[in-house]
Amino acid sequence: MKQSIRWSGLGAFIVIVAGIASISLLFLDTWIKLGAEKGLGSALGAEVNISEVSHTLSPFSVTLSRLQFTDPAQPQNNKVQAETLSADVEILPLLMQKVVINNLQVTGVEFDQERSKPGEVYRQPDAKQSFIPSFDEGDVELPDIDDLIAKSPLKTTKAIADAEAAYALHKTQLEAQYKALPNKEKLENYKQQIEALKETDYKNPAELLAAKEKFEAIKQEIRADKKQFEDFKNAVGEAKADLSPKVAALRAAPGEDYEQLKGLAAGDAAAISDVTAMIFGEQTRAWSEKLLAAVELVGPMLQNNKEQAKEEVTDAGRWYEFTDTTPLPDLLIRNANISVKWEENAIDSIWKDITNDHTKLGRATTFSVDAEKTSLWQKLALNGDLWIDDLGIKANQAWQLAGLALQPSDMVKEDKLSVALTSALLNSAGKLSINQNILDGTGKIDLGSLQLDAQGSNKLTNIIADSLNQLSDLSIDTDISGNLSSPSLGFKSDLDKKLSQAISGSVSKEAQAKLGELQAKLDKQAGDAIGTNDQQLAQLVNWEQLADGNLSSIDGLLKSKLDSVVDKKKDELKEKLLKKLKF
Amino acid sequence: MHLLAKFLKALNSEASPWQIAIAITLGMIVGLTPLWRLHNILLLLIVLFFRVNIASFIVSVAVFGAISILLNPVLLLVGDNLLSSESLIALWTGFYNTSIGHLSQFYHSSTMGGLAIGLLLAVPLLFFSRFIVVQYREKIMTWVNKLKIVEVIKSSRFFQIYESIGS
Repeated sequence: MKQSIRWSGLGAFIVIVAGIASISLLFLDTWIKLGAEKGLGSALGAEVNISEVSHTLSPFSVTLSRLQFTDPAQPQNNKVQAETLSADVEILPLLMQKVVINNLQVTGVEFDQERSKPGEVYRQPDAKQSFIPSFDEGDVELPDIDDLIAKSPLKTTKAIADAEAAYALHKTQLEAQYKALPNKEKLENYKQQIEALKETDYKNPAELLAAKEKFEAIKQEIRADKKQFEDFKNAVGEAKADLSPKVAALRAAPGEDYEQLKGLAAGDAAAISDVTAMIFGEQTRAWSEKLLAAVELVGPMLQNNKEQAKEEVTDAGRWYEFTDTTPLPDLLIRNANISVKWEENAIDSIWKDITNDHTKLGRATTFSVDAEKTSLWQKLALNGDLWIDDLGIKANQAWQLAGLALQPSDMVKEDKLSVALTSALLNSAGKLSINQNILDGTGKIDLGSLQLDAQGSNKLTNIIADSLNQLSDLSIDTDISGNLSSPSLGFKSDLDKKLSQAISGSVSKEAQAKLGELQAKLDKQAGDAIGTNDQQLAQLVNWEQLADGNLSSIDGLLKSKLDSVVDKKKDELKEKLLKKLKF
Repeated sequence: MHLLAKFLKALNSEASPWQIAIAITLGMIVGLTPLWRLHNILLLLIVLFFRVNIASFIVSVAVFGAISILLNPVLLLVGDNLLSSESLIALWTGFYNTSIGHLSQFYHSSTMGGLAIGLLLAVPLLFFSRFIVVQYREKIMTWVNKLKIVEVIKSSRFFQIYESIGS
């Protein structure tokens, strides 16, 4: 046995293994640095820099210093950067290629900071479309009143034409029908003929039978005439039904024309309806991005990390994946304290259960921020949860921000309008949910103690600027929608209404006078047309009454009967027969 | 050259044929699989701790390393078939969920293919190697020593190295 064992060989083995371990430890920091830069950069899609890495062996922990995550959309800036990141890593799960961190401390986190040199972009992010309209787009100016009147299609003119066309359409038919109607003489003639038939003393049944046939013939003619009157009456009714609303529209048209022209003279309605978005949109989007930073940054990185793990294949063979039955996900950070630096204030956020596999962990990642009475605000409370699975990201977030003192900043800097925020206190509350990467949320932003310095360069933007300069508070309702990679914000506030009123009231005297003239002209045109139409309607009413009267007479004639004459003759004949039988 | 000389010296020396055969066999397994694997560390421990001929082991690793490059498609095919075999999925899954399983990196097709072929050939190669060593010493070595070319070699620099080993 002794001959089989080589103790010096065991020593050599220990020396070799120790040598390899020593070299590994010697270069561990460099390997972690290179691995982290490559892995995080691949997940982010842009260059990640770590200036220094250090580690301790018991307990095993790693500290990364000065981390910079390039913003793929703006490579000259960091999307986020941090002073230090310290993690206590569990060793045993590492053997299973699982990173389990019990405590993660991140300090000095800052967003959107300039880099010393632009970072490399590995993957272009989805382009975020600007939803903020611009004052420099299109012709934003008060229009000339003469041009407006010349170009505007007037409702009055159209209403006159419509009414005349409708009357003309029915007039021809009605006149033709009217001319074809039986006249009074004809009706009187029917009456005389019927009376004559009734009063004749019929000597024998043959005469009576001939009278009855004549009576039926007269009634047949009367029925035909009645049909003509009924058709005429129906045609008059249709004409009235067609013409009446057109006359009503004609009466309303001058007033509507005046209001429309006045509105147009006041400015471009479409342009002023978006003033809230134009002025506060960009700034609000920036605030919203900060509030959404937790979900926006961590979510996609964890998701990318998960997708990437599935695709790991090398040229020298294929790495197979079998069902992982261990209860641990590939990445788990049990507790994290991330300290965000904002205007020299440190805001601590507490995270629990950060992972890329929530299905396996069975719990959502939760995060909360509770910072009160800082130099910037009175209160910031933010909490939410995050769940990532194969369908995408599911998350909920609610926030409440009170008394945020906004710093002076340019809000709009365009040729036609410039608006600078001098001071304001911002209060905001809202909630947001994300389901399969689709955003759905609402928020309210109240700006108190608002001071804006606005300047316009034409009539319209001067009015807007004046109105903005007078604002002391503003409440903006925001709707958050769209995709996580391309959020969309909608704005509603009473500013648009205030501006519309201000602009409407600012129509010049000259324009007012022209509008007055126009209104008088329109009133006259409409009045003449209404007069004519009223006469035409009156004519229709007369015709209708005439038809009604004649129909009534005709109905009377049709009710006449020869039955009494026939019965009388029957009785006479019966008596004569009885007398003959008695003799 | 030094290692090759040592290997030849071992062949010609009194070293046990088993020591040389085991070295060649273990070298074959290491040579056919990627170097940085857990089982290779274990084999290194065996080679160093037990009296396995180190020179023969190193030469074997080099020779089979070169052969593995040529056989790479075959190794990958075997590895792929084994790892994707439905009947073995439960075995692999169980092993995959252990620390040793993960550290062994068995789920890499080249590793699995090399290890499987290496283990399959281990026993035949062990006996074949021993047989060759014995035969070499009994028959070939005497015959070789009589060759003219060997006499030329004996006067060369290589032979001087060979002679200096163990002297």
